[in-house]
Amino acid sequence: MTTTATSLIVTTSPLQRRRNRGRGYKAFRAIMLVLVALTFLAPVVWMVLSSFKTNVDIYNSEAAFIFTPTLKNYDTVFGQADYVQYIWNSFFVAAVATLLSLLLAVPAAYSMSRFVMKKSAVLVLLARVIPGVSLLVPWYFVFSNLRIVGTYTPLVLSHMFVSLPLILYIMMSFFDSLPEELEEQAQVDGLTPIGAFLRITLPLSVPGIATASILSFIFSWNNFMFALVLSGASTKTLPVAIFDFVGYASIDWGGLMAAAVVVTIPIMVIALFTQKYIVSGLTAGATKG
Amino acid sequence: MKHRSIKVVTAAVAVTVLTGGLLAGCTTAEGEEGGKQTLRVTLANHVWTDIVKDKISDFEADHEGVTVEVTQLGEDQLSDQYNVKLNAGTDEIDVMMYRPLQEGKLFAQNGYLADLSDYVTRDAAWDWNDFQEGPVEATTYEGSVVGVPIITEQQVLYYRTDVLEKLGIAVPKTLDELEAAAKQIKEQGEIAGYVGRTGVSAAVTQWSSFLFSEGGDFANKDYTKATLDTPAAKEAYELYGRLIGQYGPANVSTDMSWPDAAALFAQGQVAFYSDASSLYQNLALEENSTVWDKVGYAPFPAGPAGSVPYNVPSWALGINNDSNKKDLAFDFVEWLTSPELTLEVQEAGVPAARTSVWDNPAGTASFPPQLAEAIAIGAKTGVGYDRPRVISVAEAREIVGAPIVVAITGGDVDAAIKKAQADFQAFLDDEND
Repeated sequence: MTTTATSLIVTTSPLQRRRNRGRGYKAFRAIMLVLVALTFLAPVVWMVLSSFKTNVDIYNSEAAFIFTPTLKNYDTVFGQADYVQYIWNSFFVAAVATLLSLLLAVPAAYSMSRFVMKKSAVLVLLARVIPGVSLLVPWYFVFSNLRIVGTYTPLVLSHMFVSLPLILYIMMSFFDSLPEELEEQAQVDGLTPIGAFLRITLPLSVPGIATASILSFIFSWNNFMFALVLSGASTKTLPVAIFDFVGYASIDWGGLMAAAVVVTIPIMVIALFTQKYIVSGLTAGATKG
Repeated sequence: MKHRSIKVVTAAVAVTVLTGGLLAGCTTAEGEEGGKQTLRVTLANHVWTDIVKDKISDFEADHEGVTVEVTQLGEDQLSDQYNVKLNAGTDEIDVMMYRPLQEGKLFAQNGYLADLSDYVTRDAAWDWNDFQEGPVEATTYEGSVVGVPIITEQQVLYYRTDVLEKLGIAVPKTLDELEAAAKQIKEQGEIAGYVGRTGVSAAVTQWSSFLFSEGGDFANKDYTKATLDTPAAKEAYELYGRLIGQYGPANVSTDMSWPDAAALFAQGQVAFYSDASSLYQNLALEENSTVWDKVGYAPFPAGPAGSVPYNVPSWALGINNDSNKKDLAFDFVEWLTSPELTLEVQEAGVPAARTSVWDNPAGTASFPPQLAEAIAIGAKTGVGYDRPRVISVAEAREIVGAPIVVAITGGDVDAAIKKAQADFQAFLDDEND
């Protein structure tokens, strides 16, 4: 009995220990995941809850989770302020800046990758290194003399200044990872170099283009500094418009939070949906390869 | 195969052309066409702005062909924008709302603000002499008028009427009485005695009334010698520190500006709060405050030098020196600051800079009577600034405010004052060079 029991203990205990260790790891992982999620989501939850509260409830810790919800703040955002226009402005500037940057940066990245133009690449990278704020005064001076401050054009151009190098560098590394043999094979089959780029390389690069586009779009959507100086009353973007709720001797916290929700939710939704797209694109590429 | 490649290239070109076209279509240069003029006005987010903005169509109706284009921003965003645009020599701003005490000297010295001395005297009916002396002084630079004050504020004492009544405490008339009352309330244990701004820079303006009432100042008259280590300044630092550090809310944060401090009062956690008169709606409106019906107002308590709160023009209107529509711009400023519109604005609760509206019962009718009285007293006894009158105001505030935080947290105030005095003296020497 004793011997059997001892041998049982001896044979099962490492397994048991492994199981225990496995359980301990799972519990630790779950706790850490919850902690990280709470840390990142807490401000968003607070923002969303506050957008349904009155100013008195926002400061009242007892009404943190239990309160009488109000839609007044959203009524202020969409009723009194011209937020539909601001949403359109943000969307338009982000979309056009991203699109134009893609049109210029993708072929440029392809050339720099395939024809090893490292010096040109470093030159473009300089645009990423120079802080945008140091360019604001000269930009404003130029755009002001061209009489285009307050229109979409300087906003799009200034956003492209950041988006273009970003897309270029993402796409350069993507093109580097694609085998050149595929294009050579296409050319053997009768395609021109441009044809091989358009019909072979570009379709395989869709996941990279999607990633670069999302990052560029998110940058444009969130940009405050360029829009503050270069936009006008009718071209104001959401990050600038949000400050309308901060007054000199009064802050409409509820309206501010509702406006923040309006700014945040679209970009979160876009990011979530396009993330799916990227994953599927990557999988498709892998299968083809 | 080739045919399809051509289609793809054609599509790409089409997208480029379309996008370019769209951009070009959006690029409509703003300017004058066929005798039409656009007056570009930059205003701060303020109740004043909300009121006058709705009336701008009246001005446009009186001035045929004139369109007023308003850009409205928060105070810090407004400053950032001015710094970039005025530095680039823009003529795309005509009328600008600015803070005379925060950036007036810098803007005037840089030549951003047009000289309005001739404009302000051109119409006797508009009456430049009706504007209060302190605010006018703050919008005058080296003898030239560079701005028209529009909004004033004075430091007043807000208190909880129910708490004082319950504990049998009289409304404090002196700083000693205020300290004794705050101590008694704190010791009672239900709520804190006093709260004010605690952030290094934010607190300076609200501490200034303590400094003036103790008989001190930031510097001597011509700003050549710092006076932060005088007995009066030391007492002001220590008293402000005791009021918040010892009789204020527990674990008080040291980066509070007015929204945080006012919120503590509005949530019923504090009995006394001293800040600008312009903040009263954050405390006295039901939608903002849980104690809205229990708020009392008193003039700033007197120190050894009497009750000497600040009485400042928080905002003024200036004209961009590079504007090519200065006459029209001043027409607009004149219209915005006319006695009639000023009265209307004050009736809506915005303290104005014209003496006549304070003398007019209609001008004070919308204010709680106690507050109107406190403002009137502050306007008479107050001084026209609440921060050092220097060019780099933000930097000066950081230096002057440092001992305030040390006093609140119970640190070595003497050492902090000594350092602030030396730093501020070096700062003044540097600015005067």
